[in-house]
Amino acid sequence: MRRHRTLAVLALLGPFCLLFAGCFLAPIGYALYQSLLKVERSGPLGLGSDRSVFAGAANYAAALRDDEFTGSVVRVLLFGVVQVPLMIVLAVVLALLLESASARWVPFFRSAFFLPHGVPGVIASILWGFLYVPGISPIVKLLDDLGLQVNFLSSGTVLWSIANIVTWQFAGYNMLIVIAQLKAVRLELYEAAKIDGANAWQLARYLKLPMARPAIVLTTVFSIIGTLQLFSEPLVLRPLTVAVNDTYTPNLNAYTQAFVNNNYNLAAAEAVLLALVACVLSFGFLRLVGRQEDE
Amino acid sequence: MKYRIIVASLLAVAAVYFLVPVYWLVLAATKDTTGLFGSNGFWFADPHPIRYLRMVLDYDNGIYGRWILNSILYAGVGATAATLLSSAAGYALAKFSFPGRETVFNVVLAGVLIPATALALPLYLLFNKIGLTNSYAAVLIPCMVSPFGVYLCRIYAAAAVPDGLLEAARIDGAGELAIFGRIVLRVMTPALVTVFLFQFVGIWNNFFLPLVMLSDQKLYPVTLGLTSWHGYTDRAPILYQLTVGGALLSVIPLMILMVVLQRYWRSGLTQGSLKV
Amino acid sequence: MAPAKLTRRTLLTGTAAAAGLALAGCSSSTDEAAAPPSRKPGEKITLAFWSWVPGIEKSVDLWNSKNPEVQVKLEKVIAGNKGAYPKMFAALKAGNPPDLGQVEYQQIPSFLLEEGLTDLTKLGINDHAGKFVDWQWQQGVFGDGVYAVPQASGPMGMYYREDRFKAWGVQPPTTWDEFETAARAIRKADPKSYICSFPPTSGGWFSAMSWQAGAKWFDVRGDDWVVNIDSEQTRQVATYWEKLIRADLVKPEPDQQSGWFAEVQAGTIGCWVAAQWGDAILAGNAANTSGKWRVAQMPQWDLAKPASSNWGGSSTAVLNGSKYPKEALEFALWLNTDPASVDLLIQGGYGWPAAKDAFSGSALDKPSPFFGNAKYNEVFAKSDQLIDKSWKWIPTISDTHRHLGDAITAAIAKKTSFADAIATVQQQTVADLTAKGLKVATA
Repeated sequence: MRRHRTLAVLALLGPFCLLFAGCFLAPIGYALYQSLLKVERSGPLGLGSDRSVFAGAANYAAALRDDEFTGSVVRVLLFGVVQVPLMIVLAVVLALLLESASARWVPFFRSAFFLPHGVPGVIASILWGFLYVPGISPIVKLLDDLGLQVNFLSSGTVLWSIANIVTWQFAGYNMLIVIAQLKAVRLELYEAAKIDGANAWQLARYLKLPMARPAIVLTTVFSIIGTLQLFSEPLVLRPLTVAVNDTYTPNLNAYTQAFVNNNYNLAAAEAVLLALVACVLSFGFLRLVGRQEDE
Repeated sequence: MKYRIIVASLLAVAAVYFLVPVYWLVLAATKDTTGLFGSNGFWFADPHPIRYLRMVLDYDNGIYGRWILNSILYAGVGATAATLLSSAAGYALAKFSFPGRETVFNVVLAGVLIPATALALPLYLLFNKIGLTNSYAAVLIPCMVSPFGVYLCRIYAAAAVPDGLLEAARIDGAGELAIFGRIVLRVMTPALVTVFLFQFVGIWNNFFLPLVMLSDQKLYPVTLGLTSWHGYTDRAPILYQLTVGGALLSVIPLMILMVVLQRYWRSGLTQGSLKV
Repeated sequence: MAPAKLTRRTLLTGTAAAAGLALAGCSSSTDEAAAPPSRKPGEKITLAFWSWVPGIEKSVDLWNSKNPEVQVKLEKVIAGNKGAYPKMFAALKAGNPPDLGQVEYQQIPSFLLEEGLTDLTKLGINDHAGKFVDWQWQQGVFGDGVYAVPQASGPMGMYYREDRFKAWGVQPPTTWDEFETAARAIRKADPKSYICSFPPTSGGWFSAMSWQAGAKWFDVRGDDWVVNIDSEQTRQVATYWEKLIRADLVKPEPDQQSGWFAEVQAGTIGCWVAAQWGDAILAGNAANTSGKWRVAQMPQWDLAKPASSNWGGSSTAVLNGSKYPKEALEFALWLNTDPASVDLLIQGGYGWPAAKDAFSGSALDKPSPFFGNAKYNEVFAKSDQLIDKSWKWIPTISDTHRHLGDAITAAIAKKTSFADAIATVQQQTVADLTAKGLKVATA
């Protein structure tokens, strides 16, 4: 019987664990290994044969010394600090509005808000690109007619133009997760609160918002991870503006190092640093939330 | 009444924000390249929707259709496999006690927090070593792993699969795999649908992994294919209009899917699975 | 077979001879033992070829119809660093590269550093040296090796809208001084228009501007890569454009993308100082302006010493790892020298032929309705004579071009000096090469 169970666990858990090891653990291990090597060149002008040699922490030092890499990390952190809260607030507000008793045409609005999540990031970026480029964008033209000179692609604005693309894509999705959480609350609770004389605002603030907390935490963690992965938006907008280059985000930077500059070892170090930052931030956020809950 | 007006106007403003780009896309798909640059983006200019969309499908021996099929293949097969693997693993973690169980779960949980794109690069290097890059498998295999799916399935199985049911089946002499296949999967259906949808949309929208793994454009999913058209526009201006038309065609099926399946997203998530 | 590698000896003798034309047929490295693999007679093979040149499929089709046993499968890839090179480098690493690739002259050193190109001397390419324009041939020569079959270059000129200049009452400029005066006059005549845009992130364009002014950014000396970006000539060019931007006489924006095309169509940009291959881009993206364009020589720094420049240019290279390098080379040679193929490439707008004497009588030598029925390519034929042919590239050119774009963008935004930006790029470039483990010297 015991052996039977062990076999069952192996059969159920084995396939996943095997693939998980192959697609998560092995690449991390391999990245760690690669990040400790460097290429040594020989021959005149360095054009002879190369070989990989142990480099210690040299690649990490190089990544951390590289203004472009650290700059890109700071940039996405700034992005996250502003965009993630804004988007989550928007998602929660929309969810609460749709769940309030005063809302009409709820299915239409819910679908409309959720629709952009069906547009992949690259395609959303191509689409918004057309709406940002001066001379083509009807939005820029409309604002211009109103006397507002706006450049969505200047070095001061482009980060927020990217934030807009991400918000457009994900606000509705996050909203749906919050709604799902709200729906899970038993109706009697609402009824009881109403009988106690709570108005719509109080109901939202003191009952629904605390109820939605787990969903808000979940969507925030996912958004933090997503922020650190920013890649396709700057990639697509890059040709349209002088303000975005090949190292604009950490991910784009690592991609450029690996595939354009052939610095695989440096790229591996950057990937490891990126994963580290992501883990620290998400764990940190979860612990912060956990501690508040305990209090 | 006052509330109703405020709520309605706020919702309407939000709807405009979310729908205007879609409206632009629909109009833009009826224009040629000159029209895209030269006409008012919010109104028609010499519309030929059918002709232009046919051009999208015909260009380069119909490569666009192939990209769509590839996307369906990657997302369909990848999400199905990921769902099955996640449910089996989640169920095992929830209902069997064995040494190292919590360690496995915590490692998987850490996997949720690692950006997929940070993995794609070393994964490419690794697949490279075993000659797996530039193939369907290079994209499919990583898509079959969903740590978040395992996490959802474990919580769901713990809450929704009654121990009594399992014991009864065992007493009836059913094998463990049969129990999983016939009973557990059925009970877990709402969670499975949720995991499937999460993964399907995730794979469909994925760009970085295929970008890194694939060089043969016959293997491209539609996201990568359209981006390659978009990158080629300066040499072949017709691709501006084809990219826009192709973008519209590619998002229509998924948008319909999203809207139709909304309630499944909710049902799977509501049933106790959101305990972070 | 082991990939051909440069040894010290071949390199040293090579640099000594580099100035002169590689002696046809005198290659000493034809080594029977290292003979490359080849197909058996009658065996049917398919060569993979990655390129982005518009219209090149017509040449490939022509080859395929004539060579049933050696078929070429063309894959269109996104040009340059946005698609083709990352894919080629990745495929090289994976050991399954295409047999042939489109490689720009500026990228050849980068590919050499990754051991990505096949030395074609062993396959007898030197017998064909005489078929190509010498300076384009030299772009693929490193030491004793020849690593690329030259395809086309980009002699520069000035495309301008004759109708708009007339409307503004301004003469097309022939010197950079006149250019500035004209820019000012245009701003006065029509505040919505500019004489041209300045592409801050186009490193290739800016290096071409410096090239015209007599700068020589890179060279090879002994074992060292020489970096001399921060020179008097480069600073002269940088300071000139800085002045125009500060005075709002040119519009800083990326060229050849949707917003720029819209302005070109609308005629709010009067001219484009660009390479010969720009004709196809203008005609393709602004078909409605047909007949209104003319071409003149680039504005000059000194009319007494006329100089032009080159922007872009690329080769057909046989990538290291090709199973059939001999057949691949045969195709590459045919593609870039066969008159019928060259004519098809010209019609597609591939640039200025690397094949000798391809101009007269070809499709280039015909009046074009887009340019008011002028034989506009005569301008580029002249321009081609005025280019300093000794320009060289380095293996980290993508980095340099990015640094240049960043530094100039920052200088524009923060209103700091362009000359300082150039000095920064010089330092960064030296650092890039050093980080690659290469030896660097400054002039």
